[in-house]
Amino acid sequence: MLTIDALRRFGANTEEGLGRCLNNEAFYLRLVNMSLQDAGFDKLASAVESDDRKAAFEAAHALKGSLGNLALTPIYTPVAELTELLRGGQDADYKAMLGTILRQRAELLALCEG
Amino acid sequence: MLECCQKIQFDHGIRRILVVEDDLINREILSLMLRDTYDILIAETGKQALELLESDYGTLSLVLLDLNLPDMKGVDILGRIKGNALTARLPVIVMTADQNAEVECLTLGATDFISKPYPKQEIVLARIRRTIEQFEDRDIIRWTERDQLTGLYNREFFYRYAAQHDEHHPEEPTDAIVLDINHFHMVNERYGKEFGDRVLRLVAEKLRAKVSDSDGIVCRKEDDTFLIYCLHRSDYGQILDGVCMQMETDYQIRARMGVYPDVDRGIDMERRFDRAKQAADAVKNSYSQTVGFYDNAMHEKELYLEQLLEDFHTAIREKQFTVFYQPKFDVRPDEPVLCSTEALARWRHPKLGLISPGVFIPLFEKNGLIRELDSFVWREAVAQIRTWEERLGRLIPVSVNVSRIDLNDPPLLKILEKTVDEAGIGRESILLEITESAYTDNAEQIINVVKSLRESGFFIEMDDFGTGFSSLNMITTLPIDALKLDIQFIRTAFRDRKDTRLLETVIRLAQSLGLSTIAEGVETEEQMLTLKALGCDVVQGYYFSKPLPADEFEAFAREKCRWPGN
Repeated sequence: MLTIDALRRFGANTEEGLGRCLNNEAFYLRLVNMSLQDAGFDKLASAVESDDRKAAFEAAHALKGSLGNLALTPIYTPVAELTELLRGGQDADYKAMLGTILRQRAELLALCEG
Repeated sequence: MLECCQKIQFDHGIRRILVVEDDLINREILSLMLRDTYDILIAETGKQALELLESDYGTLSLVLLDLNLPDMKGVDILGRIKGNALTARLPVIVMTADQNAEVECLTLGATDFISKPYPKQEIVLARIRRTIEQFEDRDIIRWTERDQLTGLYNREFFYRYAAQHDEHHPEEPTDAIVLDINHFHMVNERYGKEFGDRVLRLVAEKLRAKVSDSDGIVCRKEDDTFLIYCLHRSDYGQILDGVCMQMETDYQIRARMGVYPDVDRGIDMERRFDRAKQAADAVKNSYSQTVGFYDNAMHEKELYLEQLLEDFHTAIREKQFTVFYQPKFDVRPDEPVLCSTEALARWRHPKLGLISPGVFIPLFEKNGLIRELDSFVWREAVAQIRTWEERLGRLIPVSVNVSRIDLNDPPLLKILEKTVDEAGIGRESILLEITESAYTDNAEQIINVVKSLRESGFFIEMDDFGTGFSSLNMITTLPIDALKLDIQFIRTAFRDRKDTRLLETVIRLAQSLGLSTIAEGVETEEQMLTLKALGCDVVQGYYFSKPLPADEFEAFAREKCRWPGN
C-alpha cells in the first residue's frame, strides 16, 4: 500500500502535493492512485509510437497538469519536458522519453501494489 | 438585450463558481480547495460549460476555466462568454501552465490567471475573492450608470464616457448625434406603456448594434431621445433606416436624427449635443429629410443668439430695450373706443439693429432672462400709465406679458404688487397676459398663482388662446377675466374661404363663462366688423394701429379717439 514515506522516497515532493490537498493524506494518496490509472498514459504511448505529435502533445499536456498538481516529480519532469518539446515542434527521441515516463509510472505502480 | 439590472442571486450569501475542467484529479483538488467557501458547479466539457452558462448565468459569480478541453478550446469558450450580453459581465479566471496563452486570454477578456500546478489554497482563494469583489463593485457602478429600461448609458455617465472617448481618439474626427422618435408620446397613449417601452428597447438595441462597430457609445437621454458619440461616419441614413421598423401592430417607428459632424472639441460636451439637437429639430417637420446636419447657417444663428445673450444686461442698462404700445379698442359701442393698450418690448441693438421679439423672447424664455425683461417692461408700463394719466387726464390700462418662467417664480406676486404700488396706480390698471401653454406645463401651480394674482386685484387675460392644446378644462378652471384669441386663430378664420364658425363658438363659450374676448391680429375692417357681429368685445391689430412708441401712442390717443363719456 502506498504511503507518504514511500512517495517521498520515490522522489515526489509530497509536502507540495499534500499542501494542495490541504494536508489530507488519504485524499492525496487516493488521487495519486487515480493518476496512475489515467488513460492519458496509454494515449501518449500510442501517439508517440505512431508519431502523431499533435495527439502526443495533447495527451502529455493533460498528464502534465495532474502530475504537476500531485507533485509526482519523477514522472512530472519528463512529461513536462516532452510537452514543451512537442509544443515547440522539435525533433527529439520521443520514444526514449516515453520509455522513461512509463518506467517511472511502473515504479510508482509497484509501490502502490507492494 | 443586455440586462444591466441583472442581479446575482446568492444562496445564503455564498457565491457560486463554475469550474470548467476536464481532468478528474484537477477537479478534485480544486473542489477541495473551494468547497468550504463557494458553491461549485462543475463542467467537464466545453458543451457542458455552455449549457450551464445559459441556464445558470444569473446565479454565477465567476468562471474558472481550463484552456484544454476535450471538445473545444478554452479560448473559444472565453470568447463565447464575453461575446454574449448575458454572460459578458462574468469574470473569468483562466487556469493554465502556458504563459503564451495569457496574452490571447487577456485580449479576449480574461480577468486573471491561476497557474498550473496550482498555487497554495490561500492564493487561489484570494485571487477568486478579489476578482469577485472587483466585479461586484463594477456591477454596482454599472447599475448607476445605465438607463434601466434599455441598458444604455444614462445621460450623466454618457457625457463622462464621451469625454473618455475623446481621450482615446485625440486626433480622429468624431460626431455627436441626437435621435428622436417621432410622436412617441402618442405611442404610449395609443398602444400602452408596455408597448412604448418595447419600442424604446428595440431602438436602443438597433443603435447599440450599429454604433458599437465603430467604437461609439450610445445613451438614452430621456424619454425617446437617444444620444450617440462615435467616430465620424457617413451612414447615418442607414442607421436611421435600421431604427425605423414596422412593429406587429400598424405602428411604424419613425425617427429623426441630427448630426453635428466632426465636433469642435473646444466646446463642452453638452453643447456639442445641443448642436446635434438643433440639427434634429431642423428636420422635425420634414417628411422627406429625416437626417439633419449642423451646418454653417446653424452655427451663424447660434453665434447670433449667443451675442444676444451676452449683450442682454448691457441692453437693459443702456435702455436699448424700449416699450411700444399697441392700442386695443372696445368694439361693442357703435364707434370703437380706445380702451387699453398692450406693452410690447422692442430691442434696438447698436450693432445688430432692430431685433425681432420673435427671436429674443423665445431665447430669453429658454434661459430665464425673460424675468428681467418682463420686470423692465412692467416698470416702464406702470410709469407710462402714470404719465398718460397726468398728461391725458385719464387712465389707460396696459396689458403686459407674464411669461411661464415668471409664473414659476415664487416672488412674482410681490414683485408685481410692489411695481404697481410704487407707481401709485391701481392694480386694475395692469392687465396680465398669461400664455395658454403655461397651463399645460403645470396646471395646478398655474391655477394657484393666477388665483393669488386675481385676488390681489389684477386682471388676467389668457393670451394666445387657440394655439396650443387649448382645453375646455383650462378655461373653466383658471380664474381669468378675458380670453385673447391668437392672431393665427383670426387668420385661419378669415383665410381664402372665410369660415368663422369656430370663432363664433369660442366667443359664445367665453360669454357663457362670463369672460370678455379680445381678438388680436385684426387687419381689415371686414374682420373687425365680423368679430363685432360675433360678439367679440375688444379688437387689437394693424386695422387700428401698429405698436407705437410711447410718445406716438399719446399723440394717437389724443388725435383719433374719443373717450367714453367725453
